[in-house]
Amino acid sequence: MVDFLNGTIALFGDPLNAALFAGAVLFGLVFSIIPGLGPVTLATILLPFLAHLTAAQAIMILAVIYCIGVYGGAVSAILFNIPGGPENAPTAFDGYPMAQQGRAGKAIGAAITCSAIGGTVSAVMMMVGTAYLAQWAIRAFGPPEVFALIFFGLSVSAAVGADTVWKGFLSVCLGLLIGTIGTDPAGGMARFHFGQNYLMAGVNFIPLILGFFAISEVFIQGRSMALGIHVPPKIGIEFPSLKEFWQLKLAIFRSTMVGFFCGMLPGIGATLAAFMSYAEAVRWSRHPERFGRGEIEGVAASETANNAATGGAMIPLLALGLPGGALTAVMVGAFQMHGIEPGPMVLITSKDLVWMVFVAMFFANLCILGLGYLETRMVVHLLRIPFSLLAPTIVLVAVIGAYGVRNLLLDVWVMVIAGIIGFIMRRSGYSMAGVVLGVILGDLGESAFVKSMQLLDYDLFAFFGRPICAILIVAGFVSLGFSLRRGLKRAPAR
Amino acid sequence: MASVLAPRLFVTLAALAFATSSASAQTLQKTAGFPERNISIIVPYGPGGGSDQVARAWGTAMQKVTGVAYQVENKDGGGGLAALPDFLARPKDGYTLLQHTDALASAEAAKQIDFKLGVEVLPLCITQATFSQLYIRPSETRFKDWASLLAYAKAKPGEVSLANIGVEGSMEVVQVQALEEAAGIKLKQISFDKPSERYAALLGGHTDVLFEQPGDVIKFLEAGQMKPVLSLLPDRPDAYKDVAALKDSGLGSVQSLQRIRAFWIHKDVPADRRAYLEKACEIAYNSPEFQTFNTQQLMHLSRSYYNASDSIPLLKNMIATYQKYMK
Repeated sequence: MVDFLNGTIALFGDPLNAALFAGAVLFGLVFSIIPGLGPVTLATILLPFLAHLTAAQAIMILAVIYCIGVYGGAVSAILFNIPGGPENAPTAFDGYPMAQQGRAGKAIGAAITCSAIGGTVSAVMMMVGTAYLAQWAIRAFGPPEVFALIFFGLSVSAAVGADTVWKGFLSVCLGLLIGTIGTDPAGGMARFHFGQNYLMAGVNFIPLILGFFAISEVFIQGRSMALGIHVPPKIGIEFPSLKEFWQLKLAIFRSTMVGFFCGMLPGIGATLAAFMSYAEAVRWSRHPERFGRGEIEGVAASETANNAATGGAMIPLLALGLPGGALTAVMVGAFQMHGIEPGPMVLITSKDLVWMVFVAMFFANLCILGLGYLETRMVVHLLRIPFSLLAPTIVLVAVIGAYGVRNLLLDVWVMVIAGIIGFIMRRSGYSMAGVVLGVILGDLGESAFVKSMQLLDYDLFAFFGRPICAILIVAGFVSLGFSLRRGLKRAPAR
Repeated sequence: MASVLAPRLFVTLAALAFATSSASAQTLQKTAGFPERNISIIVPYGPGGGSDQVARAWGTAMQKVTGVAYQVENKDGGGGLAALPDFLARPKDGYTLLQHTDALASAEAAKQIDFKLGVEVLPLCITQATFSQLYIRPSETRFKDWASLLAYAKAKPGEVSLANIGVEGSMEVVQVQALEEAAGIKLKQISFDKPSERYAALLGGHTDVLFEQPGDVIKFLEAGQMKPVLSLLPDRPDAYKDVAALKDSGLGSVQSLQRIRAFWIHKDVPADRRAYLEKACEIAYNSPEFQTFNTQQLMHLSRSYYNASDSIPLLKNMIATYQKYMK
């Protein structure tokens, strides 16, 4: 408590620190709304300037950008089907249908509140348990456990958003197939790259989600307009009621835990946290068929978890010096720029710095609440813009976003092709959420599987000799069985 | 292991020494108006990594020498190869440079690129070159140094697991292959593509040994969480006098492959601009800021600067070694 108070005084007692905090909140929000820019871009732009600040100020700014940035992309995901970052993609699964149904206010309200709750709780957990949790996470979770966790998440992905379970499975399989394009995680051999160096890097995730969500939506709405059946979305600025939030309590609690835990695993981070949490929301729901069609619990699960991951990700970074993702890797760079190596010694030698960062993350998550409500009152009205004017803007933002990821024109083409495929698939009842889940979980899952096989001497049954693996894999198969049973039951009726 | 704490002191001394040097903050006269605008550095890896960090530190030092800003463009993927088509397509006017590692030499050896290093794409300078080591956990009970690790690995072939990069033909894989052949052992190599996962695997007890460069794991060494058992250098470096090296372990035949980070330019860039940038690179390398940066990464333990002409024989040697192990 004394440390928390000291950190608060250090942060807000100094006008410069307070101003830097406010600036980081504001710029973090602006950059995270535009896909392809995002918090990582802002952090790398700022990096040279951070050298002129103190180490505590530099890391504090990056940590605040991290928290705010993870939330910021939710608004564009809900209103326009453009996730600001990959960690906001699951938010679009249900947030955008909600906006189309005139429930944009409820979706954004849920996103803001859940982001703030997830982020704040994880910040508290981070303050309490950094030193112990980091050691536990890396000991308990090796590659086989990570693979089992991903398999467990993947086992429900067929249930999301498709007309039938079978189409859901096919959607996930397409995602898994796309995930195999590029260099294989074991020997570095290029697959399905057609001799193109660009494709050796694989299909980048951001152009893919921009194509599948934003561009395919422009095609679908454009078709409706051409056929004269376009219905403009209703404008709803009504926020979720307390009763609705109370009904989400279990989802928020579960997603906070899932997000925080995923954040702690090196190389996993906020994106997988959001996807895993979404998958768990589907698994535990009494109405899994509602997901992908405007279920508020989907928005809550995704946004709670991606912010909860920020606190989790700081644990291996500060306690062990292990960055979990791109932004935490930039933080390592900022630490080193100031002659500090993040790791166990930081908690002892730079206690003031660590607590100022903890406190800044805590308050940054609280800021989401205030700023988010102000922002919502204004941005929901963007839906009043006629789609004929909105569509070119969406395409322009998506093109900038796709190009901005790696400054490659190929990514813009990937986005356009994904948009066309997405348009055809969505009209045929397949699930874009399933495809995207397949890509992200398949990519990480394959990498973990390859390492597991090498470690376990290519013995598949060795997975069952590790308790955590065994539980997750068995649970995954049970879940898969339920999905198949549901598919078989419904098949005759169709 | 007190020796690894020396870098902190060295950084301070180096900064003081260079601050008093007349050569510091030296600017270079422009050549026929070049450069007159910002210069781009294409980095083939993501933000925050070693390549990104060295490109940004070098760019800042170069800005002071040449008077123009250096913009880093991260184009990651494909083991560093995804950035190459874009670099080759840019105007050959000296306003685009490439930062790349020894992975480029490995790619030439594997015939993954359709140009020759030193012929079509020329090194401007190498600003980081370092050696690798094998690390274990200090709490490891089965072996405590290279001799006991070697004996254990010989007694139980394929049981000792090694966290490494898995890319066939990479410096990491070729170096371990050469070591295994010379030592007569077989290690179980686990392919980790992300450094943080590699380190976590050793710290968490999922693998037994880690292959890495000392600068990348200095924080773990200082915290006593990792322990070097073998330096992959012919002789013991001063900072690691208590750690076995190749010659004294009877592994003198193993060629020490280096992790290099270099800056490259296209051959069609006018010769006067190339010469200007080569000279600027040397001044920037010797600047106090860059020296402090390099020392923090333990680059002072072995020679880490090669100018354009010295770089070519080093690269050719590396390519020949890679080719030998790819057959």
